[in-house]
Amino acid sequence: MSEPVVDTTHEEGETRLSTGGLGRTLLVAAGVVFWGWLLLRWANDWLGGLFVPVGQPFVAPATIESLGASIPGLAGAFDALAFAVEYLPALSEGLWLTLVLTVLGIFFGFFIAVPLSVARVYGNLSKYVSLLYTELLRGTPLLAQLFVLYFGLNISGYVPGFLDGVFANNAAWAALVGFILNSAAYQSEYIRSALQSVDTGQLTAGRAIGLSKVDAIRYVVLPQGLRFAIPGWTNELIYLIKYSSLAAFITVPELFKRANDIASSNFRYTAMFTITAVLYLALVITASRMMNYVEDRTAIPGLGTGSGR
Amino acid sequence: MSDNEHTYLLEVDRVSQSYGTEKVLRDISFEMDRGDVTVLVGPSGSGKSTMLRCVNRLTEIDSGNIYLDGERITGPDVDVNELRKEVGMVFQDFNLFAHLTARQNIMLGPRRVLGLDKEEAGKRADEHLEMVGLTPQADSYPGELSGGQQQRVGIARALAMEPKLMLFDEPTSALDPELIGEVLEVMRDLADRGMTMLVVTHEMSFAREVASEMLFLDGGKIVERGPPEQLFDRPEEDRTASFLRRITEMHS
Ligand SMILES: Nc1ncnc2c1ncn2[C@@H]1O[C@H](COP(=O)(O)OP(=O)(O)OP(=O)(O)O)[C@@H](O)[C@H]1O
Ligand SMILES: [Mg+2]
Repeated sequence: MSEPVVDTTHEEGETRLSTGGLGRTLLVAAGVVFWGWLLLRWANDWLGGLFVPVGQPFVAPATIESLGASIPGLAGAFDALAFAVEYLPALSEGLWLTLVLTVLGIFFGFFIAVPLSVARVYGNLSKYVSLLYTELLRGTPLLAQLFVLYFGLNISGYVPGFLDGVFANNAAWAALVGFILNSAAYQSEYIRSALQSVDTGQLTAGRAIGLSKVDAIRYVVLPQGLRFAIPGWTNELIYLIKYSSLAAFITVPELFKRANDIASSNFRYTAMFTITAVLYLALVITASRMMNYVEDRTAIPGLGTGSGR
Repeated sequence: MSDNEHTYLLEVDRVSQSYGTEKVLRDISFEMDRGDVTVLVGPSGSGKSTMLRCVNRLTEIDSGNIYLDGERITGPDVDVNELRKEVGMVFQDFNLFAHLTARQNIMLGPRRVLGLDKEEAGKRADEHLEMVGLTPQADSYPGELSGGQQQRVGIARALAMEPKLMLFDEPTSALDPELIGEVLEVMRDLADRGMTMLVVTHEMSFAREVASEMLFLDGGKIVERGPPEQLFDRPEEDRTASFLRRITEMHS
Protein backbone atom coordinates (compact mmCIF):
# COMPACT_ATOMS: atom_id res chain seq x y z
CA MET A 1 0.00 0.00 0.00
CA SER A 2 2.70 2.44 0.94
CA GLU A 3 4.72 2.15 -2.23
CA PRO A 4 2.32 3.86 -4.66
CA VAL A 5 1.82 6.67 -2.13
CA VAL A 6 5.53 7.34 -2.02
CA ASP A 7 5.66 7.22 -5.82
CA THR A 8 2.85 9.74 -6.19
CA THR A 9 4.41 12.30 -3.90
CA HIS A 10 7.69 11.82 -5.67
CA GLU A 11 6.08 12.46 -9.05
CA GLU A 12 4.15 15.43 -7.73
CA GLY A 13 7.30 16.92 -6.40
CA GLU A 14 9.02 16.47 -9.72
CA THR A 15 6.13 17.96 -11.66
CA ARG A 16 6.04 21.00 -9.41
CA LEU A 17 9.77 21.37 -9.76
CA SER A 18 9.70 21.21 -13.55
CA THR A 19 6.77 23.63 -13.99
CA GLY A 20 8.55 25.93 -11.52
CA GLY A 21 11.62 25.65 -13.70
CA LEU A 22 9.60 26.30 -16.83
CA GLY A 23 7.82 29.27 -15.29
CA ARG A 24 11.11 30.68 -14.21
CA THR A 25 12.63 30.20 -17.64
CA LEU A 26 9.66 31.91 -19.31
CA LEU A 27 9.86 34.80 -16.84
CA VAL A 28 13.58 35.24 -17.43
CA ALA A 29 13.05 35.04 -21.22
CA ALA A 30 10.27 37.65 -21.07
CA GLY A 31 12.51 39.85 -18.93
CA VAL A 32 15.39 39.58 -21.38
CA VAL A 33 13.11 40.42 -24.32
CA PHE A 34 11.49 43.36 -22.51
CA TRP A 35 14.67 44.95 -21.17
CA GLY A 36 16.63 44.12 -24.31
CA TRP A 37 14.04 45.89 -26.41
CA LEU A 38 13.73 48.84 -24.01
CA LEU A 39 17.47 49.47 -23.75
CA LEU A 40 17.92 49.21 -27.52
CA ARG A 41 14.97 51.53 -27.99
CA TRP A 42 16.37 54.19 -25.67
CA ALA A 43 19.86 53.84 -27.13
CA ASN A 44 18.47 54.22 -30.64
CA ASP A 45 16.38 57.30 -29.87
CA TRP A 46 18.97 59.11 -27.74
CA LEU A 47 21.82 58.56 -30.13
CA GLY A 48 19.84 60.09 -32.97
CA GLY A 49 18.67 56.90 -34.67
CA LEU A 50 21.34 54.26 -34.27
CA PHE A 51 19.40 51.45 -36.01
CA VAL A 52 16.13 52.99 -37.22
CA PRO A 53 14.99 56.62 -37.41
CA VAL A 54 14.16 58.16 -34.01
CA GLY A 55 10.68 57.14 -32.85
CA GLN A 56 10.20 54.54 -35.61
CA PRO A 57 9.54 50.89 -34.68
CA PHE A 58 12.41 48.42 -35.19
CA VAL A 59 10.10 46.29 -37.33
CA ALA A 60 7.49 48.03 -39.49
CA PRO A 61 3.89 47.23 -38.41
CA ALA A 62 2.98 46.55 -42.01
CA THR A 63 5.60 43.80 -42.20
CA ILE A 64 4.11 42.10 -39.16
CA GLU A 65 0.61 42.35 -40.57
CA SER A 66 1.57 40.81 -43.86
CA LEU A 67 3.45 38.08 -41.99
CA GLY A 68 0.27 37.30 -40.05
CA ALA A 69 -1.81 37.25 -43.20
CA SER A 70 0.14 34.24 -44.44
CA ILE A 71 -0.54 32.19 -41.30
CA PRO A 72 -4.18 31.14 -41.13
CA GLY A 73 -5.92 31.73 -37.77
CA LEU A 74 -3.21 33.94 -36.37
CA ALA A 75 -3.98 37.06 -38.36
CA GLY A 76 -5.81 38.67 -35.42
CA ALA A 77 -2.88 38.14 -33.06
CA PHE A 78 -0.45 39.59 -35.54
CA ASP A 79 -2.69 42.60 -36.10
CA ALA A 80 -2.67 43.27 -32.35
CA LEU A 81 1.10 42.90 -32.27
CA ALA A 82 1.45 45.30 -35.20
CA PHE A 83 -0.74 47.82 -33.36
CA ALA A 84 1.44 47.55 -30.24
CA VAL A 85 4.65 47.87 -32.23
CA GLU A 86 3.38 51.06 -33.83
CA TYR A 87 2.94 52.85 -30.48
CA LEU A 88 5.68 51.27 -28.37
CA PRO A 89 8.35 53.82 -29.36
CA ALA A 90 6.20 56.66 -28.04
CA LEU A 91 5.33 54.70 -24.89
CA SER A 92 8.99 53.88 -24.24
CA GLU A 93 9.65 57.60 -23.76
CA GLY A 94 6.95 57.73 -21.11
CA LEU A 95 8.32 54.56 -19.58
CA TRP A 96 11.67 56.27 -19.13
CA LEU A 97 10.12 59.11 -17.20
CA THR A 98 8.05 56.74 -15.08
CA LEU A 99 11.14 54.73 -14.23
CA VAL A 100 13.35 57.72 -13.45
CA LEU A 101 10.76 59.50 -11.31
CA THR A 102 10.03 56.32 -9.34
CA VAL A 103 13.65 55.33 -8.78
CA LEU A 104 14.75 58.84 -7.79
CA GLY A 105 11.64 59.31 -5.65
CA ILE A 106 12.34 56.12 -3.73
CA PHE A 107 16.08 56.76 -3.55
CA PHE A 108 15.97 60.28 -2.15
CA GLY A 109 12.89 59.45 -0.11
CA PHE A 110 14.91 56.73 1.59
CA PHE A 111 17.44 59.23 2.92
CA ILE A 112 14.63 61.24 4.48
CA ALA A 113 12.85 58.10 5.70
CA VAL A 114 15.78 56.74 7.72
CA PRO A 115 16.15 59.79 10.01
CA LEU A 116 12.35 60.04 10.22
CA SER A 117 12.05 56.47 11.42
CA VAL A 118 14.99 56.73 13.82
CA ALA A 119 13.39 59.87 15.26
CA ARG A 120 10.08 58.04 15.64
CA VAL A 121 11.66 55.18 17.59
CA TYR A 122 14.44 56.91 19.55
CA GLY A 123 13.68 60.62 19.47
CA ASN A 124 12.15 62.79 22.19
CA LEU A 125 10.80 65.95 20.62
CA SER A 126 11.81 64.89 17.11
CA LYS A 127 9.50 61.91 17.52
CA TYR A 128 6.48 64.23 17.31
CA VAL A 129 7.89 66.17 14.39
CA SER A 130 8.37 62.88 12.55
CA LEU A 131 4.90 61.67 13.52
CA LEU A 132 3.30 64.89 12.29
CA TYR A 133 5.13 64.71 8.97
CA THR A 134 4.30 61.07 8.41
CA GLU A 135 0.63 61.42 9.29
CA LEU A 136 0.25 64.52 7.16
CA LEU A 137 1.74 62.91 4.07
CA ARG A 138 0.10 59.54 4.50
CA GLY A 139 -3.19 61.10 5.47
CA THR A 140 -3.67 63.22 2.34
CA PRO A 141 -3.97 62.05 -1.28
CA LEU A 142 -0.79 62.03 -3.34
CA LEU A 143 -2.70 63.75 -6.13
CA ALA A 144 -3.59 66.64 -3.79
CA GLN A 145 0.07 66.90 -2.79
CA LEU A 146 1.12 67.06 -6.44
CA PHE A 147 -1.47 69.77 -7.10
CA VAL A 148 -0.19 71.84 -4.20
CA LEU A 149 3.41 71.49 -5.39
CA TYR A 150 2.65 72.19 -9.04
CA PHE A 151 -0.28 74.60 -9.10
CA GLY A 152 -0.01 76.04 -5.59
CA LEU A 153 3.71 76.38 -4.97
CA ASN A 154 4.63 76.36 -8.67
CA ILE A 155 7.73 74.25 -7.98
CA SER A 156 8.44 73.84 -11.68
CA GLY A 157 8.72 77.61 -12.01
CA TYR A 158 11.74 77.62 -9.70
CA VAL A 159 13.87 74.95 -11.36
CA PRO A 160 17.46 76.26 -11.38
CA GLY A 161 18.99 76.92 -14.77
CA PHE A 162 21.37 73.99 -14.84
CA LEU A 163 18.51 71.54 -14.21
CA ASP A 164 16.27 73.15 -16.79
CA GLY A 165 15.78 70.81 -19.71
CA VAL A 166 16.85 67.64 -17.93
CA PHE A 167 13.25 66.50 -18.28
CA ALA A 168 11.13 67.25 -21.31
CA ASN A 169 8.75 69.16 -19.05
CA ASN A 170 9.69 70.96 -15.84
CA ALA A 171 6.48 69.69 -14.25
CA ALA A 172 8.48 66.48 -13.74
CA TRP A 173 10.46 68.28 -11.02
CA ALA A 174 7.28 69.00 -9.10
CA ALA A 175 6.31 65.35 -9.46
CA LEU A 176 9.74 64.23 -8.28
CA VAL A 177 9.59 66.44 -5.18
CA GLY A 178 6.12 65.06 -4.47
CA PHE A 179 7.24 61.45 -4.85
CA ILE A 180 10.28 62.00 -2.61
CA LEU A 181 8.28 63.64 0.17
CA ASN A 182 5.40 61.19 -0.07
CA SER A 183 7.44 58.01 -0.33
CA ALA A 184 9.65 59.18 2.54
CA ALA A 185 6.60 59.09 4.78
CA TYR A 186 5.57 55.59 3.69
CA GLN A 187 9.11 54.23 3.74
CA SER A 188 9.66 55.62 7.23
CA GLU A 189 6.64 53.65 8.47
CA TYR A 190 8.05 50.39 7.11
CA ILE A 191 11.49 51.13 8.53
CA ARG A 192 10.07 52.22 11.89
CA SER A 193 8.28 48.94 12.47
CA ALA A 194 11.39 47.05 11.34
CA LEU A 195 13.57 49.00 13.80
CA GLN A 196 11.15 48.20 16.59
CA SER A 197 11.50 44.51 15.88
CA VAL A 198 15.25 44.61 16.58
CA ASP A 199 15.71 43.22 20.06
CA THR A 200 16.49 46.08 22.49
CA GLY A 201 19.04 44.01 24.42
CA GLN A 202 21.45 44.51 21.53
CA LEU A 203 21.18 48.27 21.84
CA THR A 204 21.98 47.93 25.55
CA ALA A 205 24.94 45.69 24.72
CA GLY A 206 26.18 48.28 22.24
CA ARG A 207 25.90 51.02 24.84
CA ALA A 208 27.66 48.78 27.37
CA ILE A 209 30.80 48.54 25.21
CA GLY A 210 30.88 52.34 25.04
CA LEU A 211 29.09 53.13 21.79
CA SER A 212 27.18 56.40 21.87
CA LYS A 213 23.45 56.08 21.27
CA VAL A 214 23.80 57.35 17.72
CA ASP A 215 26.62 54.88 16.97
CA ALA A 216 24.75 52.00 18.57
CA ILE A 217 21.74 52.76 16.36
CA ARG A 218 23.99 53.12 13.34
CA TYR A 219 26.12 50.01 13.79
CA VAL A 220 23.74 47.68 15.61
CA VAL A 221 20.09 48.55 15.07
CA LEU A 222 19.97 49.98 11.53
CA PRO A 223 21.83 47.17 9.75
CA GLN A 224 19.27 44.73 11.13
CA GLY A 225 16.23 46.99 10.89
CA LEU A 226 16.90 47.82 7.26
CA ARG A 227 17.11 44.12 6.44
CA PHE A 228 13.79 43.49 8.19
CA ALA A 229 12.32 46.40 6.24
CA ILE A 230 13.05 45.00 2.77
CA PRO A 231 9.73 43.17 2.21
CA GLY A 232 7.60 46.13 3.26
CA TRP A 233 9.88 48.50 1.45
CA THR A 234 9.40 46.46 -1.74
CA ASN A 235 5.67 47.12 -1.44
CA GLU A 236 6.31 50.84 -1.34
CA LEU A 237 8.48 50.60 -4.45
CA ILE A 238 5.73 48.74 -6.30
CA TYR A 239 3.09 51.22 -5.16
CA LEU A 240 5.14 54.15 -6.35
CA ILE A 241 5.71 52.60 -9.80
CA LYS A 242 1.94 52.58 -10.22
CA TYR A 243 1.08 55.79 -8.33
CA SER A 244 3.64 57.70 -10.35
CA SER A 245 0.90 57.72 -13.02
CA LEU A 246 -0.74 60.51 -11.01
CA ALA A 247 1.96 62.79 -12.41
CA ALA A 248 -0.07 62.72 -15.63
CA PHE A 249 -2.54 65.08 -13.93
CA ILE A 250 0.14 67.76 -13.60
CA THR A 251 1.09 67.39 -17.29
CA VAL A 252 4.15 65.15 -16.83
CA PRO A 253 4.46 63.03 -20.00
CA GLU A 254 5.11 59.75 -18.21
CA LEU A 255 3.79 56.38 -19.35
CA PHE A 256 0.15 56.87 -18.41
CA LYS A 257 -0.10 60.33 -19.96
CA ARG A 258 1.52 59.14 -23.15
CA ALA A 259 -0.93 56.28 -23.46
CA ASN A 260 -3.87 58.51 -22.65
CA ASP A 261 -2.81 61.12 -25.20
CA ILE A 262 -2.43 58.52 -27.94
CA ALA A 263 -5.72 56.88 -27.04
CA SER A 264 -7.57 60.19 -27.25
CA SER A 265 -6.40 60.60 -30.81
CA ASN A 266 -6.91 57.03 -32.10
CA PHE A 267 -9.84 56.17 -29.80
CA ARG A 268 -8.51 52.66 -29.15
CA TYR A 269 -8.62 53.02 -25.39
CA THR A 270 -8.83 49.34 -24.52
CA ALA A 271 -5.90 48.37 -26.69
CA MET A 272 -3.74 51.30 -25.56
CA PHE A 273 -4.34 50.75 -21.87
CA THR A 274 -3.85 47.01 -22.17
CA ILE A 275 -0.39 47.61 -23.63
CA THR A 276 0.29 50.18 -20.92
CA ALA A 277 -0.79 47.76 -18.22
CA VAL A 278 1.60 45.14 -19.57
CA LEU A 279 4.44 47.67 -19.44
CA TYR A 280 3.65 48.60 -15.82
CA LEU A 281 3.48 44.90 -15.00
CA ALA A 282 6.95 44.38 -16.49
CA LEU A 283 8.33 47.15 -14.28
CA VAL A 284 6.61 45.79 -11.19
CA ILE A 285 7.78 42.21 -11.75
CA THR A 286 11.32 43.42 -12.38
CA ALA A 287 11.26 45.46 -9.17
CA SER A 288 9.94 42.63 -7.02
CA ARG A 289 12.43 40.12 -8.51
CA MET A 290 15.27 42.52 -7.87
CA MET A 291 14.22 43.09 -4.28
CA ASN A 292 13.91 39.33 -3.74
CA TYR A 293 17.46 39.04 -4.91
CA VAL A 294 18.63 41.81 -2.61
CA GLU A 295 16.80 40.16 0.29
CA ASP A 296 18.51 36.84 -0.40
CA ARG A 297 21.91 38.43 -0.79
CA THR A 298 21.70 40.37 2.46
CA ALA A 299 20.11 37.56 4.51
CA ILE A 300 21.97 36.58 7.69
CA PRO A 301 21.85 32.97 8.86
CA GLY A 302 19.53 32.67 11.83
CA LEU A 303 18.24 36.24 11.58
CA GLY A 304 14.73 37.34 10.63
CA THR A 305 13.04 34.76 8.44
CA GLY A 306 15.63 32.15 9.45
CA SER A 307 15.57 29.97 12.51
CA GLY A 308 16.60 32.81 14.85
CA ARG A 309 13.25 34.13 16.05
CA MET B 1 40.13 63.52 39.77
CA SER B 2 42.44 60.89 41.23
CA ASP B 3 41.93 60.63 44.93
CA ASN B 4 44.35 58.93 47.30
CA GLU B 5 41.57 58.02 49.70
CA HIS B 6 40.05 55.61 47.19
CA THR B 7 42.60 52.92 46.53
CA TYR B 8 40.24 50.05 45.70
CA LEU B 9 39.56 49.03 42.14
CA LEU B 10 35.84 49.39 42.80
CA GLU B 11 34.32 51.19 45.70
CA VAL B 12 30.57 51.41 46.10
CA ASP B 13 29.78 53.96 48.77
CA ARG B 14 26.30 54.19 50.31
CA VAL B 15 24.51 53.84 47.00
CA SER B 16 20.72 54.09 46.82
CA GLN B 17 18.58 53.75 43.74
CA SER B 18 14.87 53.68 43.00
CA TYR B 19 12.54 53.31 40.06
CA GLY B 20 9.88 55.95 40.70
CA THR B 21 8.68 55.36 44.22
CA GLU B 22 10.01 51.80 44.39
CA LYS B 23 13.26 51.71 46.35
CA VAL B 24 15.52 49.10 44.78
CA LEU B 25 18.95 49.67 46.37
CA ARG B 26 19.23 50.94 49.93
CA ASP B 27 22.52 52.30 51.13
CA ILE B 28 24.78 49.70 49.53
CA SER B 29 28.50 49.80 50.30
CA PHE B 30 31.23 47.35 49.32
CA GLU B 31 34.71 47.37 47.86
CA MET B 32 36.76 45.19 45.51
CA ASP B 33 40.52 44.95 45.23
CA ARG B 34 42.27 44.25 41.95
CA GLY B 35 41.85 40.59 41.05
CA ASP B 36 38.89 40.08 43.36
CA VAL B 37 35.96 37.95 42.29
CA THR B 38 32.88 39.14 44.14
CA VAL B 39 29.75 37.04 43.79
CA LEU B 40 26.41 38.74 44.32
CA VAL B 41 23.53 36.46 45.33
CA GLY B 42 19.99 37.13 46.39
CA PRO B 43 16.36 36.39 45.62
CA SER B 44 14.65 37.59 42.45
CA GLY B 45 13.94 41.32 42.59
CA SER B 46 16.50 41.98 45.30
CA GLY B 47 18.34 44.45 43.05
CA LYS B 48 21.34 42.42 41.81
CA SER B 49 21.02 43.41 38.15
CA THR B 50 20.31 46.99 39.15
CA MET B 51 23.50 47.05 41.22
CA LEU B 52 25.59 45.89 38.24
CA ARG B 53 23.91 48.36 35.91
CA CYS B 54 24.73 51.22 38.27
CA VAL B 55 28.43 50.39 37.99
CA ASN B 56 28.49 51.00 34.21
CA ARG B 57 25.72 53.57 34.49
CA LEU B 58 23.14 51.85 32.38
CA THR B 59 21.07 52.83 35.42
CA GLU B 60 21.53 56.06 37.37
CA ILE B 61 21.78 56.12 41.16
CA ASP B 62 19.86 58.49 43.46
CA SER B 63 22.56 59.02 46.07
CA GLY B 64 25.97 57.79 47.13
CA ASN B 65 29.15 57.45 45.11
CA ILE B 66 30.92 54.84 43.03
CA TYR B 67 34.68 54.97 42.43
CA LEU B 68 36.55 52.99 39.79
CA ASP B 69 40.31 52.81 40.20
CA GLY B 70 40.27 55.89 42.41
CA GLU B 71 38.06 58.02 40.20
CA ARG B 72 34.50 58.95 40.90
CA ILE B 73 32.33 57.60 38.09
CA THR B 74 29.00 58.91 39.34
CA GLY B 75 27.97 62.50 38.80
CA PRO B 76 26.87 64.43 35.75
CA ASP B 77 30.38 65.45 34.61
CA VAL B 78 31.50 61.86 33.92
CA ASP B 79 31.60 60.70 30.29
CA VAL B 80 29.68 57.41 30.43
CA ASN B 81 31.14 56.16 27.15
CA GLU B 82 34.67 56.61 28.56
CA LEU B 83 33.63 54.76 31.72
CA ARG B 84 32.16 51.88 29.73
CA LYS B 85 35.47 51.29 27.96
CA GLU B 86 36.81 50.30 31.38
CA VAL B 87 33.92 48.11 32.49
CA GLY B 88 32.87 45.05 30.52
CA MET B 89 29.41 43.53 30.84
CA VAL B 90 28.11 40.06 30.10
CA PHE B 91 24.34 39.54 29.85
CA GLN B 92 22.01 36.71 30.70
CA ASP B 93 20.59 36.68 27.14
CA PHE B 94 24.02 37.15 25.51
CA ASN B 95 22.72 40.09 23.44
CA LEU B 96 25.12 39.40 20.60
CA PHE B 97 24.79 41.59 17.52
CA ALA B 98 22.77 39.24 15.35
CA HIS B 99 23.94 40.60 11.99
CA LEU B 100 27.65 40.21 12.78
CA THR B 101 29.82 37.10 12.91
CA ALA B 102 31.49 36.10 16.17
CA ARG B 103 34.66 37.82 15.04
CA GLN B 104 32.83 40.98 13.94
CA ASN B 105 30.95 41.09 17.24
CA ILE B 106 34.25 41.25 19.07
CA MET B 107 35.76 43.76 16.63
CA LEU B 108 32.97 46.33 16.79
CA GLY B 109 33.97 47.90 20.13
CA PRO B 110 37.72 48.07 19.43
CA ARG B 111 37.02 49.59 16.01
CA ARG B 112 34.22 52.03 16.72
CA VAL B 113 34.93 52.89 20.36
CA LEU B 114 38.70 52.51 20.72
CA GLY B 115 39.41 53.62 17.17
CA LEU B 116 41.61 50.67 16.20
CA ASP B 117 41.96 49.99 12.50
CA LYS B 118 40.41 46.92 10.93
CA GLU B 119 43.57 44.87 11.05
CA GLU B 120 44.40 45.62 14.69
CA ALA B 121 40.82 45.01 15.76
CA GLY B 122 40.82 41.73 13.84
CA LYS B 123 43.98 40.62 15.55
CA ARG B 124 42.54 41.46 18.92
CA ALA B 125 39.35 39.56 18.07
CA ASP B 126 41.34 36.50 17.06
CA GLU B 127 43.26 36.53 20.34
CA HIS B 128 40.06 36.67 22.36
CA LEU B 129 38.35 34.05 20.23
CA GLU B 130 41.24 31.76 20.99
CA MET B 131 41.02 32.56 24.67
CA VAL B 132 37.38 31.44 24.82
CA GLY B 133 38.12 28.46 22.57
CA LEU B 134 36.08 29.58 19.54
CA THR B 135 38.68 30.05 16.83
CA PRO B 136 36.86 27.61 14.50
CA GLN B 137 33.58 29.54 14.93
CA ALA B 138 35.08 32.94 14.09
CA ASP B 139 32.95 33.42 10.99
CA SER B 140 29.71 31.97 12.35
CA TYR B 141 26.72 34.19 13.02
CA PRO B 142 25.10 34.15 16.48
CA GLY B 143 22.13 32.27 15.01
CA GLU B 144 24.49 29.45 14.08
CA LEU B 145 26.05 29.09 17.55
CA SER B 146 24.90 27.19 20.63
CA GLY B 147 23.96 29.17 23.72
CA GLY B 148 27.23 28.31 25.40
CA GLN B 149 29.21 29.41 22.37
CA GLN B 150 27.20 32.63 22.13
CA GLN B 151 27.91 33.46 25.75
CA ARG B 152 31.63 32.82 25.25
CA VAL B 153 31.53 35.28 22.33
CA GLY B 154 29.74 37.69 24.69
CA ILE B 155 32.58 37.36 27.16
CA ALA B 156 35.20 37.79 24.44
CA ARG B 157 33.38 40.87 23.14
CA ALA B 158 33.58 42.50 26.57
CA LEU B 159 37.21 41.42 27.13
CA ALA B 160 38.37 42.83 23.81
CA MET B 161 37.88 46.31 25.24
CA GLU B 162 40.55 45.35 27.81
CA PRO B 163 38.42 46.50 30.74
CA LYS B 164 39.56 46.91 34.32
CA LEU B 165 36.43 45.28 35.67
CA MET B 166 34.01 42.69 34.30
CA LEU B 167 30.34 42.53 35.27
CA PHE B 168 28.46 39.25 34.78
CA ASP B 169 24.67 39.24 35.13
CA GLU B 170 23.57 35.60 35.47
CA PRO B 171 25.76 34.53 32.54
CA THR B 172 24.61 30.90 32.66
CA SER B 173 20.93 31.24 33.59
CA ALA B 174 19.67 31.04 30.01
CA LEU B 175 21.77 27.98 29.17
CA ASP B 176 20.87 24.31 28.98
CA PRO B 177 22.56 22.51 31.88
CA GLU B 178 25.07 20.73 29.65
CA LEU B 179 26.34 24.07 28.28
CA ILE B 180 26.90 25.80 31.63
CA GLY B 181 30.26 24.15 32.25
CA GLU B 182 32.05 25.60 29.23
CA VAL B 183 31.06 29.15 30.21
CA LEU B 184 32.05 28.72 33.85
CA GLU B 185 35.36 27.30 32.70
CA VAL B 186 36.10 30.46 30.73
CA MET B 187 35.15 32.56 33.76
CA ARG B 188 37.38 30.50 36.04
CA ASP B 189 40.23 30.92 33.59
CA LEU B 190 39.65 34.65 33.58
CA ALA B 191 39.71 34.79 37.38
CA ASP B 192 42.99 32.86 37.36
CA ARG B 193 44.46 35.47 35.04
CA GLY B 194 43.70 38.11 37.65
CA MET B 195 40.64 39.79 36.15
CA THR B 196 38.50 41.67 38.64
CA MET B 197 34.97 40.30 38.35
CA LEU B 198 31.62 41.20 39.88
CA VAL B 199 29.35 38.24 39.24
CA VAL B 200 25.64 37.62 39.77
CA THR B 201 25.06 33.88 39.62
CA HIS B 202 23.14 30.98 41.06
CA GLU B 203 26.02 28.58 40.40
CA MET B 204 27.00 27.95 44.00
CA SER B 205 29.88 25.61 43.26
CA PHE B 206 31.45 28.34 41.15
CA ALA B 207 30.93 30.84 43.97
CA ARG B 208 32.45 28.53 46.55
CA GLU B 209 35.52 27.78 44.45
CA VAL B 210 36.24 31.09 42.79
CA ALA B 211 34.75 33.92 44.87
CA SER B 212 37.02 35.97 47.07
CA GLU B 213 33.94 37.43 48.65
CA MET B 214 30.20 36.89 48.53
CA LEU B 215 27.48 39.46 49.07
CA PHE B 216 23.97 38.35 49.97
CA LEU B 217 21.47 40.96 48.85
CA ASP B 218 17.84 41.00 49.97
CA GLY B 219 15.32 43.79 49.60
CA GLY B 220 17.99 46.08 48.20
CA LYS B 221 20.23 45.71 51.26
CA ILE B 222 23.40 43.74 51.87
CA VAL B 223 22.27 41.28 54.51
CA GLU B 224 25.59 39.53 54.85
CA ARG B 225 29.01 39.63 53.25
CA GLY B 226 32.13 37.56 53.71
CA PRO B 227 34.24 34.81 52.19
CA PRO B 228 32.21 31.95 50.67
CA GLU B 229 33.18 29.55 53.49
CA GLN B 230 31.52 31.89 55.97
CA LEU B 231 28.29 32.29 54.03
CA PHE B 232 27.99 28.62 53.17
CA ASP B 233 29.28 26.98 56.34
CA ARG B 234 28.68 29.37 59.24
CA PRO B 235 26.38 32.18 58.11
CA GLU B 236 25.60 34.82 60.70
CA GLU B 237 22.11 35.51 59.38
CA ASP B 238 19.24 33.03 59.20
CA ARG B 239 18.07 34.55 55.92
CA THR B 240 21.46 33.82 54.35
CA ALA B 241 21.38 30.25 55.52
CA SER B 242 17.90 29.51 54.23
CA PHE B 243 18.47 31.27 50.88
CA LEU B 244 21.75 29.49 50.16
CA ARG B 245 20.28 26.14 51.21
CA ARG B 246 17.35 26.64 48.85
CA ILE B 247 19.53 27.76 45.93
CA THR B 248 21.99 24.92 46.38
CA GLU B 249 19.18 22.34 46.41
CA MET B 250 17.56 23.86 43.31
CA HIS B 251 20.77 23.80 41.31
CA SER B 252 22.10 20.36 42.11
N1 LIG C 1 13.55 49.40 34.28
C1 LIG C 1 12.87 49.21 35.42
N2 LIG C 1 11.81 49.98 35.70
C2 LIG C 1 11.11 49.81 36.85
N3 LIG C 1 11.39 48.89 37.77
C3 LIG C 1 12.44 48.08 37.55
C4 LIG C 1 13.23 48.21 36.36
N4 LIG C 1 14.21 47.27 36.41
C5 LIG C 1 14.04 46.61 37.57
N5 LIG C 1 12.99 47.08 38.27
C6 LIG C 1 12.54 46.64 39.57
O1 LIG C 1 13.62 46.75 40.45
C7 LIG C 1 13.68 45.63 41.33
C8 LIG C 1 15.05 44.99 41.28
O2 LIG C 1 15.23 44.45 39.98
P1 LIG C 1 16.55 43.71 39.56
O3 LIG C 1 16.39 43.35 38.14
O4 LIG C 1 17.71 44.52 39.95
O5 LIG C 1 16.50 42.42 40.47
P2 LIG C 1 17.38 41.11 40.40
O6 LIG C 1 17.90 40.90 41.76
O7 LIG C 1 18.36 41.20 39.31
O8 LIG C 1 16.30 40.00 40.08
P3 LIG C 1 16.40 38.69 39.17
O9 LIG C 1 17.08 37.65 40.00
O10 LIG C 1 14.99 38.36 38.89
O11 LIG C 1 17.17 39.06 37.94
C9 LIG C 1 12.55 44.70 40.93
O12 LIG C 1 11.47 44.89 41.83
C10 LIG C 1 12.16 45.17 39.56
O13 LIG C 1 10.79 45.00 39.34
MG1 LIG D 1 18.63 40.24 37.40
